[in-house]
Amino acid sequence: MAKNQHEYILPETSSTADFIASLQSIFTIREEHEAVIWRTFYDTFDWRLFNQGASLELYKDQTSPKVYWRADKDSARKIQLGLSSVPRFIDHMPRSNLRKQLEPIQKMRELLPRIKLKIKRQPIVVLNDEGRIIVRLNVDEYWFRPAKTRAAHVLGRRVSSKAVKGYQENYDQYLDFIQQLELRTAPDNMLKLALAETGHSAGDYTTKLNLLLDTDEPLIAALKEILARLSEIIHQNTPGTIRGEDTEYLHDYRVAVRKTRSVMSEIKDALPPDIVNTYGKFFSMLGKYTGPVRDIDVYLIKLDKYQKNLSKEGKKQLKAFKLHLQELRKEKQAALKETLKSSEYKQAMKSWDEYLQQPVENLDENSPQARPVSTVADKLVWELYQQTLEQGNVITPESPADDIHTLRKTCKKLRYVMEFFQSLYPARRIRELILVLKGLQDVLGDFNDYAVHIDMLKEFRKSVPEESVEKAMTAMIKELKKKQAAVRAGFAEQYAQYSSQDHIDEFREIFVDSR
Amino acid sequence: MKIIAIYNIKGGVGKTATAVNLAYLASTDGANTLLWDLDPQGATSYYYKVKPKVKGGGKKLIEGKSDIEDAVRGTDYEDLDILPADFSYRNMDLFLDQTKKPQKRLRKLLQPFEDEYDYVFLDCPPSISSASEAVFAASDVLLVPTIPTTLSLRTYKQIRKFFHENGYAEMKILPFFAMVDRRKQMHRLIVEHPPSFMPGTLRSYIPYASEVEKMGVHRAPVGVFAGRSRAAVSYRNMWEEVKEDLHLLESELE
Ligand SMILES: Nc1ncnc2c1ncn2[C@@H]1O[C@H](COP(=O)(O)OP(=O)(O)OP(=O)(O)O)[C@@H](O)[C@H]1O
Ligand SMILES: [Mg+2]
Repeated sequence: MAKNQHEYILPETSSTADFIASLQSIFTIREEHEAVIWRTFYDTFDWRLFNQGASLELYKDQTSPKVYWRADKDSARKIQLGLSSVPRFIDHMPRSNLRKQLEPIQKMRELLPRIKLKIKRQPIVVLNDEGRIIVRLNVDEYWFRPAKTRAAHVLGRRVSSKAVKGYQENYDQYLDFIQQLELRTAPDNMLKLALAETGHSAGDYTTKLNLLLDTDEPLIAALKEILARLSEIIHQNTPGTIRGEDTEYLHDYRVAVRKTRSVMSEIKDALPPDIVNTYGKFFSMLGKYTGPVRDIDVYLIKLDKYQKNLSKEGKKQLKAFKLHLQELRKEKQAALKETLKSSEYKQAMKSWDEYLQQPVENLDENSPQARPVSTVADKLVWELYQQTLEQGNVITPESPADDIHTLRKTCKKLRYVMEFFQSLYPARRIRELILVLKGLQDVLGDFNDYAVHIDMLKEFRKSVPEESVEKAMTAMIKELKKKQAAVRAGFAEQYAQYSSQDHIDEFREIFVDSR
Repeated sequence: MKIIAIYNIKGGVGKTATAVNLAYLASTDGANTLLWDLDPQGATSYYYKVKPKVKGGGKKLIEGKSDIEDAVRGTDYEDLDILPADFSYRNMDLFLDQTKKPQKRLRKLLQPFEDEYDYVFLDCPPSISSASEAVFAASDVLLVPTIPTTLSLRTYKQIRKFFHENGYAEMKILPFFAMVDRRKQMHRLIVEHPPSFMPGTLRSYIPYASEVEKMGVHRAPVGVFAGRSRAAVSYRNMWEEVKEDLHLLESELE
């Protein structure tokens, strides 16, 4: 709050009328026209703004609507932009300081209205003997509807006040009056309060699994928990994937599908064969349907980087290539949308969820499904780790790119499995192991990234008849290959840590010796 | 904090009416706004029902010997404060000339408000003097109401010449037409085809309207007592245009 502005909470036990009456017993006041204010808070699906401590709000009252940006949501300092709506994507946000601060947080994600508050405001002015306004205050009643299916209710009432210039003494009298009422100052912002009411806190969307598996749990029960959590992520991202503009939904959707498939393929004999058969096919089909759109997305995201290095003609060609990709994407996206909206898809997901929700009962103690999850997890992680070492140890600066890709895939499998079972192991130690693995994966990922870049530029080169552009592309590809080679040089260092004796010992201790 | 001065050498062209109305509109945007009445006649202060008097006197204030924040008065409108006129401002030039850097004086006096106000409007008396030069140096933009008559255009030309010859060539000047009477052919012609020496003339203009005169009766900006009138609408359009022109759609608030 700026100086000479205060905000207090009106207790539930006293009504607005009570407050006004007690105000009236001391001051001459005038009640102004009641006003309605709408405050809508926007955030990305994965709460990027909130997680960064920022907030973006559309504020509507009787005057012209505006957008407020707070880099620190609890601070009074804000940027105001005269807009009547919040653009969903950063590209549509007018160039401004607000955009400059929002862009690195929002990135490519869409903004959604997350919390909408209605404020019934009773403005009151305190007057002196000459009829001049000496203090302004508002009694604000915050209304909130936690969900479409629930009724709106009062979230709280607050009285905010502001000194009028030249009447500081009167304002101090008012503050004395408030002190006698023993009102509490309003500490946190309404956004937080409203969020708590929705039953979930902001930042509750995460692609982390965050499970709490039990070491003695039968394998099948644990797997169902993992798969149910993955299914949840799939569902969370389905509507956004269908809308198809914010590319991150599809990304998260695909990762969850891939992990689901990896549970089925990596942990053999754990799920009934008919289940593996039916749903293995289903999820692999989903992988196929979502692949083309994602591939184009990856191209489109990378494409813009090449703009500035091109001649005018090259820029024109690149634009044409981009348009071509966008057209292609539209086509593929339409097909994907149709799939995800089909009754077959919905039915399959529904019965999958039903299967996952079925309690595990009457297990044959000797069946592979009944093995304690930790035994299986230990073995699997250890084996996959061994496999990465076998593949990694033979990689030399001369070995073909395919070898690196193979290692990349095995590392990914290992990473998935370690994350599935993470909660079975000492938290800090397994986190360390995952971190080192991640370091290695980053190098392998960068290497792959360049490969994708190069493929894309080759595609582009094929699509342009212009010789100068072709030359530019060839030069760029050469440049990228150089960078890719540099990444590869960094591999040895990361791998050395990953395959060091200490690291192997740590793996062994956690996944082999501890049982 | 953006400082917007309403200025013309000529008297009675609608400067005060503009300052009073635009400042009000700025405050209804939710921007903290200060309106400084620099004219000893105190018309602006009168419109806002504030006594045209500075505690401790205008001289002390200009010399920086009294606290400028103590001189500010709240108005009947939220987010709009006024720095009232003082009759002693008729000697403003003298006050200023006794300070070290007369030109930079006003800007310096407003320094403490940097974080507090989003806009400061300056309603200037009709003259060209040390005081107006201090206004030029302090302001981010000058709004120049001009009546669409040959004589007023000549005055505008003089102002421009003065700016060019006295190192204010870079100053952002937004002229606009005021008290436009569309029944008069000359007004129509000039408004539709502003002369070439008036580049940057605002598209919106203020018509000659009785509501503006009635401000003196209501002692309030037109938006308050005649929100739908032609005059109110044209001030509103003008404010939007000014904001756009100055890229003021965005502001940092506290
Ligand atoms: N658009 C308008 N239509 C009709 N009357 C107007 C208009 N604008 C101003 N007036 C009237 O013209 C007179 C002068 O206006 P105003 O005080 O705004 O001009 P000014 O330039 O500030 O004058 P001064 O140079 O004396 O300070 C006032 O009586 C005002 O009511
Ligand atoms: Mg005037």
